[in-house]
Amino acid sequence: MNENQRVQQVLSGNTSAFAYFVETYQDMAITIAHRICGNMQDAEDVVQESYVKAYRNLHTFRSESKFSTWLYRIVYNTAITQTKTRMWMGMQETGIEDAYDRGENTLEINLEEMDRREVVSEVLQRMPKGDALLLTLYYMEDNPVKEIAKITGLNEPNVKVKLFRARKMFKELLAECYSVEDVGFS
Amino acid sequence: MKENKIENEEKIIRQMMQSEMKKAPENLKFRIMHQIETRKALTPQKRKPKKESGTLLKEMGAIFGTMYAVMAAMVIGGYLLQGKDFLLTPQFIGPVVLVAAVFSLFWLMTRLEAVLKARKK
Repeated sequence: MNENQRVQQVLSGNTSAFAYFVETYQDMAITIAHRICGNMQDAEDVVQESYVKAYRNLHTFRSESKFSTWLYRIVYNTAITQTKTRMWMGMQETGIEDAYDRGENTLEINLEEMDRREVVSEVLQRMPKGDALLLTLYYMEDNPVKEIAKITGLNEPNVKVKLFRARKMFKELLAECYSVEDVGFS
Repeated sequence: MKENKIENEEKIIRQMMQSEMKKAPENLKFRIMHQIETRKALTPQKRKPKKESGTLLKEMGAIFGTMYAVMAAMVIGGYLLQGKDFLLTPQFIGPVVLVAAVFSLFWLMTRLEAVLKARKK
C-alpha cells in the first residue's frame, strides 16, 4: 500500500492508519525540531503539535509532493513559530564568526576519546541553526535540493549556496577541534 | 583525483550526519495518536440538515388538512340540518370564511416562527 492510499484511508475516517506516518517519520521530525529548538523536550512538543496539525490539514495535502516533505515543512514552521527563531536573517556572516569564536575558546578534544556521534553533535551545535538544519536535511535523508527548498521556503540556488557554506564550515570546525586526519579529510 | 577526494569527504560527512539522527521516545507515537483520537472523538459529527421543503409540505398538509376536514363537517352538518339552500346563504359562508382565515393565519404564524429559528441558527 503506498502513501497516497494510506492518506485516503485516514481521510475516510480510519484514524489508526495515521500511525504509519507517525512511526515512519517521527525520528527525522524530531531531529529537525531538535536542530531548531535546541532541546529534546521542546522538540517533542513541536513534533506532537506538528503531527496533530498534519492530521487536521490532511485534506490539503497534494500528492504531487512527498508526504515527508509536507510533514517536515509543518515541523519546520511549527518549530520556528514556537521558538521564535530567525533561521536565515543575518545568520550568514555573524553565525560563522560566532562559531569560530566559540571554537577558539574550547579545549581541544581528541577524536579517539569521544564517540563520533558526540563529535558531530558538538560541531553541529556550534554552527548556526539554519546551516546545521540544511546539513541534516541533505545528508540524513538524502533529500534533494528541491525538497530542501520546499521544506525551508528558500529558493533552490539559495539552498545550494548555503549548503556549500555549511559544508565548508562543518569541515573547518571539525578540523579546528580535531586533527583533519582523524576524521578522514586528508 | 580531486573528484575522488570530494566523494570521500561527502561519504564521511554523510556517515557522520546519519549517526546524529535523534531517536523519538517510545511514548511519542502513543501521545500523538492519543491526542488525534481524542480530537476526533470531541469533534461533533456533521448532521444532515433537515430538508426544508419536506417540513413545509408536512406542515401545510397538517394545517390545511384539518381546515378542510372542519369545512367538510360544516357542509355536511349544514346540508343535513338546514338543506341545500342554506349552503349558499351568508350565514353559512361567513363562518366558512372565518374558519379558512383562522387556519391560514395559524399557518402563517408557523412559517414565521420557522424563518426566525433558521435565522437564529
